[in-house]
Amino acid sequence: MNEIYNILKIAKKEFMDNLRNKWMIALSVIFLILILVSSYFGTAQQTGKVGWSDISITIIAMMALVQLLIPIISLMLSYAAIVGEIERGSMNLLLSYPVSRIEVVIGKFIGLSAVVSSSILLGFGIGGIVIAINASINLQEYAIFIIASILLAMSYISISIMFSAILKRRSTAMGAAIFLFFLFAMIWRMISFGILVMSGSSIENPPDWYYAFNLINPVQSFSTIVTLNLHLMKDVASVYHPPSFYNSWTASAILIMWILLPIIIAIYYFNKRDI
Amino acid sequence: MIEVIDLVKKYGDVIAVDGISFSVRKGEIFSLLGPNGAGKTTTIKALLGLISIDGGEIKIKDMELKKHEREIKKIMGYVPERVAFYDNLTALQTLEFFAELKDVKCDCMKLLKEVSLEKAANRKVAGFSKGMLQRLAIAQALIGEPEIIIMDEPTSGLDAIGAYEIRKKILELKERGVTILFSSHILSEVQEISDRVAVINKGKLIAVDTIEALGKQFDMTPKLRIELQRPSSYILNRVKQVRGVRDASIDKNILEIICPPSIKTNVIKVIEDAGGKILDFKTVEPSLEEIFMRMVREDE
Repeated sequence: MNEIYNILKIAKKEFMDNLRNKWMIALSVIFLILILVSSYFGTAQQTGKVGWSDISITIIAMMALVQLLIPIISLMLSYAAIVGEIERGSMNLLLSYPVSRIEVVIGKFIGLSAVVSSSILLGFGIGGIVIAINASINLQEYAIFIIASILLAMSYISISIMFSAILKRRSTAMGAAIFLFFLFAMIWRMISFGILVMSGSSIENPPDWYYAFNLINPVQSFSTIVTLNLHLMKDVASVYHPPSFYNSWTASAILIMWILLPIIIAIYYFNKRDI
Repeated sequence: MIEVIDLVKKYGDVIAVDGISFSVRKGEIFSLLGPNGAGKTTTIKALLGLISIDGGEIKIKDMELKKHEREIKKIMGYVPERVAFYDNLTALQTLEFFAELKDVKCDCMKLLKEVSLEKAANRKVAGFSKGMLQRLAIAQALIGEPEIIIMDEPTSGLDAIGAYEIRKKILELKERGVTILFSSHILSEVQEISDRVAVINKGKLIAVDTIEALGKQFDMTPKLRIELQRPSSYILNRVKQVRGVRDASIDKNILEIICPPSIKTNVIKVIEDAGGKILDFKTVEPSLEEIFMRMVREDE
């Protein structure tokens, strides 16, 4: 029980820190603006009109931005979680108390995840209410979108904490976080497409490995969960014949793997690290 | 209370601590003394479980640190050399957070009063001066009334008044029965407050004892300091000829003689016979600085 209490104490401190320095409020406002702008102006380019769109259209309109914004926010918020404290000297003090390193890593992960999750819930929550009043909302689709967003944020927080636990300097951890962002947001797609072209397969009927390779990318997993659950995308999806493993459950399992595996690696390295 | 047995710590090929052993008794102020890079901080970090060790054993209150880290940390306080807290927290919130981690009830305002920080209780620590941070570090180390406090260079970077206040606090803690292990490279400070000293150089332990005993161990002879009305080279030469006198020198009207206390009377008689008029007379024990310099020289 001591362990759980300690994890919660560290998580609470991490959460309160971000509440005090107004990070949480700033993030909530960013998410709120994103959804409201996407809903009101999101279809202007296609229809030549502005006005409130229903939630499915809003989600499609903001998908590309969410896929960039959530990873950036999560990485920036947590890349220094461990290495930053070691560099400043406060980790010495923290570990001189009866808390284990496992508790510190998990506590920080939970605290930071709570910060981003609360901001997502608050920002998208208020935005959802505004859209429900002015247009229509499919609660199931919206709930899946929010849950997937939270899972995406948690996976990036977990990966950043892993870098933070392994790397010796804050600046290196930041560099790794930036590289990771570009890897998953841009490079991954280029590589998979490049291999697809080299193998002589067509994009209209890609082989199974192409789906699997893309699903490994957490951003793609997020996108898969959301799009496969939007009724508007059902017709588009029927054109392709994806393999049976290409579904929301596999994508969710991959995101969960991206949450658990880096945290386990972070604990392993942090336990061995001299402070 | 604290037992360090054959402690070894390597960083790659560099041996930072090379088989150090010492024990700290209950209620004493025990100093780790050594030049920069001697291995003091590494030893302290090992005591706190902040680094892995390559050999040896650490026991606190007969409990092995490796096996009982949580229990041991409950009875310990720590003041780091480089004090860093969480910038967003106030002094009071900082103490409350650490009290929560220790799972103890804490009259945190009382602790802040104890280090004269009660007026800054609700100020964020980001704006604290070095001296204030150091005092807050001492307050946090007192959370849960620990039996042992470990301090790594607690006066480093402080001005004279700040350093004096910290030394005063350390002596107060000793009065309360707290066992204190602290590291320093400031010899006068160690001499002023320590019951016993462990001298470390290049990762090795050179000596452990009281300052007086170390002086004897290294054959550090006390000095006779004699104030004369009219010192002269004739008196100096006569004194130098006395059997047992190792050295003698004159600075203004002070005649300083290095000799065993047993020949003191003889030396005084020789001075008077040579026409010297003694105004004042005292025996000066060797300073820790002299002992330390001698030990390090011999070690090298």
